[in-house]
Amino acid sequence: MTCQELEILLADYVDGTIRGEEKSAIESHLAGCVLCAALARDAAGAVAFMDRAADVEVPQELVTRILFELTDGPSRAAIRPSAARRIFGPLFQPWIDRILQPRFSMSLAMTILSFAMLGRFAGINVRQLKPSDLDPVKVYAAAEDRIQRAWARSVKYYENLRVVFEIQTQLNEWSQQDASPNPADQNKQQKK
Amino acid sequence: MDADTQLVERCLGGEQAAWEDLVKVHSRRVYSICYRFTGSDQEAQDLTQEVFLRVFRSLKSFRAGEGSFTVWLSRLSRNLLIDHYRRTRLDRATDSIEEQLPLLEEKTAMISRTEGLVAGREASELLQGALQKLSPELRETVILRDLEELEYREIAQVLNVPEGTVKSRLNRGRAELARLLRRQKVSV
Repeated sequence: MTCQELEILLADYVDGTIRGEEKSAIESHLAGCVLCAALARDAAGAVAFMDRAADVEVPQELVTRILFELTDGPSRAAIRPSAARRIFGPLFQPWIDRILQPRFSMSLAMTILSFAMLGRFAGINVRQLKPSDLDPVKVYAAAEDRIQRAWARSVKYYENLRVVFEIQTQLNEWSQQDASPNPADQNKQQKK
Repeated sequence: MDADTQLVERCLGGEQAAWEDLVKVHSRRVYSICYRFTGSDQEAQDLTQEVFLRVFRSLKSFRAGEGSFTVWLSRLSRNLLIDHYRRTRLDRATDSIEEQLPLLEEKTAMISRTEGLVAGREASELLQGALQKLSPELRETVILRDLEELEYREIAQVLNVPEGTVKSRLNRGRAELARLLRRQKVSV
């Protein structure tokens, strides 16, 4: 064993984590090398001294000061959970955390890019977004327009359903009133 | 999921009590690293508070898969200490060590008279004086391994150096520390 090899193993030897053949190889080197033996003795002595030294106690007033900072200081705002956590709650949080990891974000970005390129080659034309499209007034007007249309469509659908229902009810009544229904008359009524 | 990761999860979920637990559980380690590195109670208190302010702001950047919370916190403390060391290097060059030396020698002489192995609070004070004379690289390695009892792998992550470098610095740091203590007539 060379002195360089010993230097790598010395820390583990002093910690007492080396056993067996490696340990005897180190000890036989130390028996023959004055410099390494001195290094090992000093290192072991320092470790033993540090073991005897008392642990550092944290001042209680420091802990109180940090806790005060947390409850009443400016850090109070910093420890509020993120908007995503507040909105989606703990139910979706593991998923959000996973998606927000750099590798997944990058994968997502690459997928969008791939689809965009495919669309371009396939000849699908997507209108470019202009800075003027992001004007809040325009965005608001467009959203309002869409809402109005959707509302109007639903109202119309409902009204149509009502008319159809009324006609069907009327037809049923007529057919019940007519004891011997005449096919020619029925056709007439339907045309009406 | 280990206890620290669960605690961090609760903190990020907005639980006030979890933040308080985080401070109570980890303030000793942070203060101890700062105190052993700077050698001053006041500086260590200020730095510990600064470390926790950073923890409050940046806990969401902690990812459990990239190492333990202890490593993350130790790295944050260490980076702040190194910044502080660089900032105050000039101040230290002009005063301090020469002023501290006679006081330290007097203390050592007093302890030597009582004989036997120095231990407890006295040993802690002597260690504090000797640590201040180590270079920052050796000092931080010795503190993280022998006083904070981190694994070599964890220290390598905190310091961002290979494990071999950690071991080499540790050997030199320990040996240098023993020589410094012996120079003060302390038997090691």
